[in-house]
Amino acid sequence: MILLNYLASFFLITLGLYCIVTKHDLLKSVIGLSVMDYGVNLLIITVGFNPGGTAPIFTFGELNPASFFVDPIPQALTLTSIVIGACTTAMSLSLVIKIREMYGTTDTRQIRRLRG
Amino acid sequence: MSMLQHFPICAIMAYFLGAFLIVVFGRNRALRNLIGFLSTATPLCLLTALVKPVLQGSDVIAYWMGSRVPAGGYAIGIALEVDALGLFFGLLIATAVFVAMIYSFSYMSHDDNEPQYYTLFLMLCGGVMGFVLSGDLFNMFIMIEILTFAAVALTAFRNTANGALEAAFKYLVVGCIGSSCILAGTIMLYAQAHTLNFAQLAAFLPGNLNTATVVAYALLFIGFCTKAFIVPFHPLAADAHGAAPAPVSVLISGVLTKSGLYGIIRLTYILFRTMNLGTVQFWLVFLGSVSMFVCVTMALAQHDFKRLLAFHSISQIGYVLTAAGLATALGVSSGLYHAMNHTLFKGLLFLCAGAVLHETGTTDLGKLGGLSKKMPQTTVLFLVGAFSISGIPPFNGFASKWMIYQATYQKAVESGNIGFLFATIVALVTSTLTLASFVKVTQSVFFGQLPKEYENVKEVSFGMRLAMGILALLCILTGLFPGFVTTYLTEPAARAVFGANNYINAMLGTGYAQNFGLVDALPVSFQAAGVWSPISWLCLLMIMLLAVAIVAVSSKYDQVSALAKTAAAAEAAEAKAGPRYGSGALAEGKYELFFGGEESVFSQVGGDDLFWGFKHNWRHYFSFMHELHSGIVNDYALWAVVALALAMLYAMIIL
Repeated sequence: MILLNYLASFFLITLGLYCIVTKHDLLKSVIGLSVMDYGVNLLIITVGFNPGGTAPIFTFGELNPASFFVDPIPQALTLTSIVIGACTTAMSLSLVIKIREMYGTTDTRQIRRLRG
Repeated sequence: MSMLQHFPICAIMAYFLGAFLIVVFGRNRALRNLIGFLSTATPLCLLTALVKPVLQGSDVIAYWMGSRVPAGGYAIGIALEVDALGLFFGLLIATAVFVAMIYSFSYMSHDDNEPQYYTLFLMLCGGVMGFVLSGDLFNMFIMIEILTFAAVALTAFRNTANGALEAAFKYLVVGCIGSSCILAGTIMLYAQAHTLNFAQLAAFLPGNLNTATVVAYALLFIGFCTKAFIVPFHPLAADAHGAAPAPVSVLISGVLTKSGLYGIIRLTYILFRTMNLGTVQFWLVFLGSVSMFVCVTMALAQHDFKRLLAFHSISQIGYVLTAAGLATALGVSSGLYHAMNHTLFKGLLFLCAGAVLHETGTTDLGKLGGLSKKMPQTTVLFLVGAFSISGIPPFNGFASKWMIYQATYQKAVESGNIGFLFATIVALVTSTLTLASFVKVTQSVFFGQLPKEYENVKEVSFGMRLAMGILALLCILTGLFPGFVTTYLTEPAARAVFGANNYINAMLGTGYAQNFGLVDALPVSFQAAGVWSPISWLCLLMIMLLAVAIVAVSSKYDQVSALAKTAAAAEAAEAKAGPRYGSGALAEGKYELFFGGEESVFSQVGGDDLFWGFKHNWRHYFSFMHELHSGIVNDYALWAVVALALAMLYAMIIL
């Protein structure tokens, strides 16, 4: 079950990178970035997951060595990472809008005034 | 708990607080400038106060956010940790940021949306400062994201400028691939060590290296490379610098690349110090040498002032990486010295380019010329920067490059590996090409004939000259007193690089590192092979400058009449032959100094380049490189993916 999660996350990361490298459209590049982000998020969640563990919500009195719960730190990290991913998407989309206005296209092969 | 312990967090907060206050009160110009000035001056003062205990006394300041100190040997809270290495980079950053802020006051005064500019500017500064002072791997990732976003937004700030938007988009795409690599690497380390604290990782990892941690190293390394713009990522730097306002170029080149280098050094020497260092050395030195050479040749082919400077910037970063990758005390110390010099002279050069852009409205080398008559002070300041970067003796570039040559040579002799000798040779050749390139830039921007449209150009305002003057003064001082710099700044930092136990114990309690059976790896010796006296070089330079001045003054009248004759002859010829095609720019006599003024000689130059012979001989290489730097974002992303794949393979197979 856990193995499936790891495989899925690496598949998503690879898919995102493939999309960024091969698709000649700015919007598809942005989609690729998001997919890669989701892959990394899935990886983080998977690292912290303990099969059969409970939610990590305890008061000091309840906590004892026998309590078995999923690791809360990766979940906190994932939340941060999701927020950052949303920012990436928003920022890149706003850049795409401005580029579309200025260049009249979203084809990366035509957006290459800076080269050489 | 002394007061000093709170200084690092205050330094970081000053930037972010300034950014926030400018959003609230930024409409008023005077108030905005005051907030900007205070929020960049405060961290500089706070970090300067830490020099005595940390750099001289080799203390390490550990600060736990919210006083969540470690329990049972496990780091629970988020930590800031300032050792000599972190403080060295912090000081560098605070200085560059302070100067760039002073420069911005007059440089950005004609732009729209000025408050937003200062907000982003301070966010970028805070991100970098938080990055180098942080003691927590995930915190470093957050700071990396903040600084990447701020840098992207600032690149696109003048979004009507040519290519600003596309530069920002390319930077965002490749930068995000890099950030995702850092996140994935961080989480792979967490899965192994169950901690994100740097000190605890540094204690845990050396005895527990396996395939997963080594792959994590490759991921983190590539992530930091995208921030330092090491070779497969160098086009992004060139694009971003060309489009961004000049003070932002100072931040991207002088500050942002340093964060990447800091990450690489910390990763390699503190976290993974028991990894097979011989192969890592080869990797770093190879990448550094390639960066040096590729970028300096790319710079030779450029026609845009700022783009050219951007390639030189990465070329110099290659020096730092090469030296830092040597894993000797002298190597790391010289690398840090060059990193400091890079911030100073590159900042100065970018500010001079900004001054030229501010007054003339262009950075095209073909259009500029003769500005020394109109902007004499900027010219002198630019020359200081150009001498420094080309490694002319009394300036700082020479001191650090000399140490780097010695360090690579010493390493080659000690290890018997001929590869390090090649690094020395590449470094020497690169330095020569840098000088050649700066001869071309100086000639085509500041000397030669002044184009008619720039006859009303004036010297830039006092604030901008002050900012450039501070950096020029620092360039000269750090060049004249290399002994002082190495003793008080770079050697303590290099000691911190090789003294991981001190770092671990300061954070997690005395004896913590020893419990893991760790000993500091390398004996620290800073013995250089030769010594040199900068003062005598200064005298020599003065004499040479005097000679040049005398010749220039005495031959001035002859030259003027000769010029008039050539111009008259050219006009007559033109009138006879009708309008000419192609090399129109040459009729202005731009490269006369080098071609003796005969039209028949320089008319074959084929446009606008001083080194046409060199470029002709190397035309296959240059056209290949030109094709390669296609400007398509997919290609740059592909390079990133290839670099990542190679790094991971190398790590898994060899390390």
